[in-house]
Amino acid sequence: MSVYILGIACYYHDSSAALLKDGILVAAAQEERFTRKKHDTSFPINAINYCLKSQGISIKDVKYAGFYEKPFLKFERVLFQHLEMFPKSLKTFISSIPSWINEKLRVVRATKKKLNYKGDVLFIEHHLAHAASAFLVSPFEESAILTVDGVGEWTTTAYGLGKGKDIELMKELKFPYSIGLLYSTITAYLGFSVNNSEYKVMGLSAYGNMDKETNPYYKKLRDIVDIKDDGSFRFDMGYFIYHYANRMPSKKLCRLLQGPITKDGSEMTQRHKDIAAALQLVTEEILTSMLNHVHKATKCDNIVLAGGVALNSVYNGKILRNTPFKKIWIQPDAGDGGTSVGAAFYIYNSILGNKRNYVLRDAYLGPEFSTSSVRSFLDKNKIKYSEFKDDEELLKNTSRLIFNNNVVGWFQGRMEWGPRALGARSILSNPCNPKMQEIINLKVKHREKFRPFAPVVCEDDALKYFDCDKPIPEPTDFMLMVYPIKKEWRSKIPAVTHVDGSGRLQTIRKDQNFLYYHLIKEFGKLSSIPILINTSFNIRGEPIVCTPLDAYKCMMGTGIDFLVMDKFLIKRDDNLQDMWNSEKYAKD
Amino acid sequence: MKELKNFFKGFKKGMGDFGQGITSIVNSALLLIVYLMGVGFTSIFAKLFHKHFLDRKLSTKDKTYWADLSLKKKSIEKYYRQF
Repeated sequence: MSVYILGIACYYHDSSAALLKDGILVAAAQEERFTRKKHDTSFPINAINYCLKSQGISIKDVKYAGFYEKPFLKFERVLFQHLEMFPKSLKTFISSIPSWINEKLRVVRATKKKLNYKGDVLFIEHHLAHAASAFLVSPFEESAILTVDGVGEWTTTAYGLGKGKDIELMKELKFPYSIGLLYSTITAYLGFSVNNSEYKVMGLSAYGNMDKETNPYYKKLRDIVDIKDDGSFRFDMGYFIYHYANRMPSKKLCRLLQGPITKDGSEMTQRHKDIAAALQLVTEEILTSMLNHVHKATKCDNIVLAGGVALNSVYNGKILRNTPFKKIWIQPDAGDGGTSVGAAFYIYNSILGNKRNYVLRDAYLGPEFSTSSVRSFLDKNKIKYSEFKDDEELLKNTSRLIFNNNVVGWFQGRMEWGPRALGARSILSNPCNPKMQEIINLKVKHREKFRPFAPVVCEDDALKYFDCDKPIPEPTDFMLMVYPIKKEWRSKIPAVTHVDGSGRLQTIRKDQNFLYYHLIKEFGKLSSIPILINTSFNIRGEPIVCTPLDAYKCMMGTGIDFLVMDKFLIKRDDNLQDMWNSEKYAKD
Repeated sequence: MKELKNFFKGFKKGMGDFGQGITSIVNSALLLIVYLMGVGFTSIFAKLFHKHFLDRKLSTKDKTYWADLSLKKKSIEKYYRQF
């Protein structure tokens, strides 16, 4: 009889569930995709139901459920914050304690009640769940591990060693010192939303002055961070208030950065860009020292990273060049959403002592919809469509549409695991058109002008266009590494070339996604450049689409020209426009 | 009839909102008392005895801020604990 382990992460941000069958990850999804609330924190009942349904099992078949943190340890930290910061923490005490009493300290009750689950619930320390989510699904038998995020229970950063099925986290940095919280604080200062828009600040940094000598804000930020030679650090906490207030930047920090908190939606000036660059520089400086130290302490050439900071793809692309590590691995959902995977694997491999028998090679772990169910959806809703007779016709026609500068919604197979669209729920378009960034922004995304779009390229073509590490690290498959685009190609693919000449590329291998791979190749036959723009299939402020209905609504509410869903082609202009104003719903 | 239905619908919603309002006022009042009596007194006593709950000081003497964690596999019983 198969052993099923369920991993659960919830009540902070990015709730998710993951299911293992005999040590193989068979399903994983974030709750937001089902509830359509971005970064949904609620108990992931829909994601769990999907996981169980995908295997045709019920909750009775699950042997263990694993939770991604120790709630009482975390609550201890929260109480200690209030004790230390009395009476300044009154407001956050009143706003946060009810949720602790009502749900966060009642995980077992919620799991049993909402799922009618009668089995055991195990609690894995947050950073151990992060570490397991990276190491136990990596291709490495032995690896150094670094986890860096906002905060777990007490730990904000930890490092250790993974060997076979065992993990040991040796050292930690504790709250309130956290790179994740530093990044979030500056994100809030620049007028973006916390735990959501950190990647925008990362994108903005390329427009700023990346020279430590001349960036006026680098020295200011550097002066309030004490970085030791081994990468451990502390902040001058006089500049931060996140340990007692909901609002992140303090008045003192505002004075340091010479201006008030930026209002949401404000135009980004050179000052904002330089602040973002200074933050990225400080982050990179800390992480490089830290990784050098971790290499020295573990004497291992492989590194796995996890935690929200591991989504900093700009820095990830520099790791192998700036540190002694030779190989790197990051799983697609390195942030808190990914800890459900870690909790489940830690139970199966480390606690129960089963051998590792799985490597995460692609991110297609979410729901899929059969051809008949898609057809039935289209027919039922009287949607006009045409049907491709085979894959060849689908590839030829779709690549032609993209080549002709149409914006195409691409809905194929199982939905991706993690925050990036990787060719299952993507919007695709032509990167050779210099106006394409503007066109997509105008038609669909309505996002900030400074944010670049990402290129996708077949793995066997990547080195021709991008200055990647060799061999190309596997996290590039999950759009987690930014590399320079080779100079001679930058002007030929302007829509995906960032201001600093870099691209946050996704590489795709034939065995990962056959149709997607061949679509890019087919486009290459028309354009002579086998690269596409790949951006997530959603409108700003909404989660990536999950179902055919989500995809159709997204197309009809925006300016996406065509939707290629399974083997069906839907033209926006052939169908009645919904009274659905995407801009009205665009939030962030 | 329709107007009556709408009235009761609105009335029910209004009562619900009123109930929620009362709940949040009572909760806030209770939490305020807990905060002042529980957190406040403990915090004041702790401060009198120089006890700190968060380490908020920079150190020029120490060569490192890394602290021992030694988090590794424990017996399965330990994972039933939420602390």
